[in-house]
This record gives sequence, C-alpha cells and structure tokens, in this order.
Amino acid sequence: MALLKLKAIKKIYSQEKIEVAALRGIDLEINEGEFSTVFGPSGSGKTTLLNLIGCLDKPTSGKIYFEGNYIANFSKKDLAKIRRKNIGFVFQSYNLIPVLTAYENVEFAINIVDDISKDEIKDRVLRMLSLVGLKGLEDRKPNELSGGQKQRVAIARALVKKPKLVLADEPSANLDSKTSEDILEIMMKMNKELNTTFLFSTHDPLVMKHAERKIEIKDGMITKDERGEKVNVFS
Amino acid sequence: MFLVKLSLKNLMRHKKRTIITALIIAWAIFFYITFDSLLIGMNDMVFQNIIDYEYGHIQISNQTYWENKDELSLDNLITNDETINNKITEIDRYQNHAAQLNFQARLNDGVNETPVLGRGIRPEQTFDVLKYKDYIIKGEVFKMGEHKAIIGKRLSDIMNLDVGDYITLLTKTKNDTLNTIDAEISGVINTPNPNINQNLVFVPLDISQNALNLNNKVSHYIVRLDSQIFNQSIVNSFQKELGEINSNFGVYSWRNLDEVSITKAKQSGNVLILIIILTIAAIGIINIVILAALERMEEIGMMKALGLKEKEIVYTFVIESTGIGIIGGMFGIILGAISVYLFTKIGIDFGAFMDMDMTQYGIPIISKIYGGWNPKTFIYMFFFAVFGSMLASILPARWAAKKDPVKAIYRR
Repeated sequence: MALLKLKAIKKIYSQEKIEVAALRGIDLEINEGEFSTVFGPSGSGKTTLLNLIGCLDKPTSGKIYFEGNYIANFSKKDLAKIRRKNIGFVFQSYNLIPVLTAYENVEFAINIVDDISKDEIKDRVLRMLSLVGLKGLEDRKPNELSGGQKQRVAIARALVKKPKLVLADEPSANLDSKTSEDILEIMMKMNKELNTTFLFSTHDPLVMKHAERKIEIKDGMITKDERGEKVNVFS
Repeated sequence: MFLVKLSLKNLMRHKKRTIITALIIAWAIFFYITFDSLLIGMNDMVFQNIIDYEYGHIQISNQTYWENKDELSLDNLITNDETINNKITEIDRYQNHAAQLNFQARLNDGVNETPVLGRGIRPEQTFDVLKYKDYIIKGEVFKMGEHKAIIGKRLSDIMNLDVGDYITLLTKTKNDTLNTIDAEISGVINTPNPNINQNLVFVPLDISQNALNLNNKVSHYIVRLDSQIFNQSIVNSFQKELGEINSNFGVYSWRNLDEVSITKAKQSGNVLILIIILTIAAIGIINIVILAALERMEEIGMMKALGLKEKEIVYTFVIESTGIGIIGGMFGIILGAISVYLFTKIGIDFGAFMDMDMTQYGIPIISKIYGGWNPKTFIYMFFFAVFGSMLASILPARWAAKKDPVKAIYRR
C-alpha cells in the first residue's frame, strides 16, 4: 500500500512580483518500507518536495495523500499532528538543541508524543542511542560530539518515536565519506529492522548507489524513477 | 515538564545575558522599593508632624463647624464644660486632651499689620497634647490670665518681633464688633511644622474668650491617644457615645484631614514610576526573547518539524522569561530589603545636602528622613516582575512560534 501519494503537485514561490516554479507537476507514490532517494542538481526542487511530503509546507496546487488521507488542505495544527506521530526528519545541519544532552535531544522527540510512559521513553531512547552506536555518550552535549555523532543523534531523534516515514535532507553533506557510510549503514539497518520508510534528498553518489529507488528531479519535474534491489555494501 | 526543563536550560544558555536582564529588572524593583520606602517614611513624618504639632490624634467639634472649619467662624462652638471633658477622658487609649479656640485676627505691631490665625489655649493642656515644649526657642510659655502671646519664628522674622515686644490682635467678636487683644510676646516657637511657625499666634484661652465675647466656648478639642496606629473603631465608638450627649458633636481622626488626603493622593505618582519601571523591564524581556528567537531560528524550525504546536513553542519562551523575572524579582527584593533596612536604620540626612532650615519653605523636615517598611510592596513588586516578564514575552514568543517552519529550518 502506498504510504504517500502525490498527484500533479505544483509549488510556486512568489518573490515580490517574480514567480518561481519550484515544482511543476509531480506525480509520485512512496510505498511503506521503501529506501528511496531523490537526487538532482541544486535548485531542482528536491528540498521543496521533501518539505511538502513532510507536511512542513503546502503545495500551490495538486493533491497529497498520506496513508490514504488527503492532507493538502489540512490546517497547520493538523499537519503538526501528522509530523508529531508519523514523520521523522534528519537535517543536513543536524539541528540539535545545544543545551540538551544526546539523551535529552532524542528524548525531546518522543516526549511530545502522547501516551508513552516514562519507563518506555527511557527504554526507547537508550535503545535507539545504542542502535546508532552512541552507547556511553548519552550525557554528552552536541558541542562534545563529532559531526558524525551529531548526525547519529539526529537519526536516533528521527526514529525514536517509530515514525512511518523518515525524511533526510542531504544527511551526509557535512560528513566525510567514512562517516557517511556509517550513517547510511545505520539508516539501512533501521529500514530493515523497523520497516521504516526512508526518503533522502542527496548529491552523494554513495547514498544514491545504495538506494532501492532512485528518483531524479530536474527543474521541478521527475525525469527518472528507477527501482532496483536494495544493495547492501556493508554486509 | 520536558518543555519546562528545556526552558530552564535555555535560561542558562547565555548566562551573562540572562543575568544582565535580570539585573535590569532587579534594579527597577530595587529603585521602586527604595522610593516607596522613602515616600512612606516621608508620609509618616508628615503625618507625625500633623499629629504632634497641629491636630493630635482626634479632634472633637461641632459637625457644622468642622465642615467649614477654615472659615474660623465663631458660630457653632462647643461649651467647654465638665460633662464633655469627662467624657473625652473615657476614650479608649486616651492620654490627654486640650480645648482650643481658633479665631481670625490681624496682627499689628504699631507699624505693620498682617493676617494671622489666633489660637486660645490652656498652655498646660495644649503642651501636653502637642509637642511644643522643646520648640520654644526664645522666652517662655505664658500662664492663663496673662496678656501675653507666643508667636512662630517665621512670623517673628517677617514682622521683626522678639520676646518682650508688644503686639495687638485686631479681631471681631461673635457679635461682629471690633475688639483687640493687647499682648506682650512671651515666647517664640519654631516647630518642625511650618504652619505653626508662619502665621499662628497663641494667647491664653480665657483672654481670647473674653475678647471675643464667647464666655466658655471653644472651637474644638484635640486629643492624644497612646498609639498613633489609626483605629477607626475608636473614632466610631466614641462618636456614638458622644452622640448621646449632643448629636451635633463630631469626632474626627487625623486621617480625616484634607492634608492627609492630599498626601495620599500624591502617592498615586508612584503608579507612574511603576509604569516607567515596568516598561524598562518589559523592553529588556522583549529584547532578550527576540534575540533568543533569532539565534534559535533553526531550533524553532526543528521543533515545528518534530510536531511541536505553536503554543508549546510560545510556552518555552514564556517559561524562560518568567525564570528571568523570578531571578530579577528575587535580586530586586533582596537589594530592596537591604536598601530599606539601611534607610530605616540610618536614614537620609537632607540637612547634609541643604545647609538651611527647610521649614521656612513649608517643608516639614528638620534633619533626617527615615524609610518605612511596606511588605506589600515587596510582594507586589515580585509578582509584577514575574508576571510582567511573562506577559512581555508573549508577543515576541508568538512572533517566533509563528515562523514558517521551512524558513526557520533553512534560515530563509
């Protein structure tokens, strides 16, 4: 079943009197458990597409369905509800809260989700930090972690609430190739173990190489959509 | 709870900034508390001045007379008899009392003439109720039946009069005929109350009653109690008792005087100072919230991406600002308490600033002003700081929380 369905999505930004079309009619379906990447040159509309899928923005026209629900006309409050429970984000610049420890940064994401006991929160946060290889570093603040470790915290934060979809906007852009490989491995592991759907935007050939589905976007249009086997180079 | 924890951690993110903003609030509170304390001290001094040198704690007169007491009419006076004198001694907390007769007069020294307030007194009574004894700076107090007078120092300076000089008081009797009181100046008085020094002439009560053809009439009684704490119930209960003798009698506390009302009205000026202070504190808070929001734009975007509601983001900023208000409020009341303690113990010596007798300018200050404690001000100011900080942060926090998440995340 399609987790996400986009039909004729257009996004036009108006800057003073100039209109810029970031997306010019996107049709796309993302299925549950997919490990997909959106790639293309800078300014092609990758981030805009991810923002629309992540319910952070609304399309100028077109229809978006999340788990079969038409969400393009949802209010800000309702979109926040969807993000709260179903969507995790990993940003290029990590966006961790500097005053919180690694544990607290991850705890933050799960704390705002309703109906979870304190013990369960603790278990899930510790397990997630362990899964991303940060066992023993729970009490460190972001300024005491390397770039790769910060991105691991960000991944743990995105996954701890067990979202249906994780959107990662160029997650390896600020990392060296070895760290990128590690991060990618973690995400593939999560995809496999938790059946979480992943969608990346990237320039990184390494990420593209291992994605199960590669969606190319140029000038706001999907120009290529290839499906293949998941390649696990780390095994 | 997690958002509270986050807010408290954010509070310490920029310690210097937090402390400086808290100190601005603390300074504002300290300033207000100190100012309020000095004002209370000054008011207490003014009130004490009124009690000690002019009115006593309670005055008793005919109600009609009291309503128009500034006219100094010789109508509606009270007969100074034993019944009322005995009754007055039954007042709760009674210490002593004195009968007085106020009248209009013109003081003539043979060359110059000036309008004055004549006051017939029994010196042994009046000097018990009012604290004049230590303020006779020249000469002595007259006795009943003597054609002598005591005048204020300011008046003696203006008229160039001294002890031993003769004066004439030109008055009108009850029957509207002219009469005079010839008297030798037996003493000069210089009290901390400028009204007494400026235009008052004391003469023996019997001399004034004879001159005004008033037999045994007096305009009012002044009563000193053994406590200055205002107790309306004493006034009310005595009014009731006195009403049984004569329903026209009125009992008036020093609190009912116009001068007291005016002094109280002046306190409304405090509100203006309070508004200025709160504005300063609010600007500090608004500034810090806007700065924090701009610095944390990406975090705000991330919070929104996580699904935090706008009101939850506002909440984190409001809690943080409230924390600053609490820190500032606590510092402020501690500094204020130290300041008030010093002012109540040591006082402030205005004489050191101004090497002159301020009473001649109508300012009832002899040397030092002491502060007064007002616990309510401490409580109010603390809550003003906390709630002021909280309220001041709401608008900038809402501005931050309403940021488009995409623009916030990518700082567009």
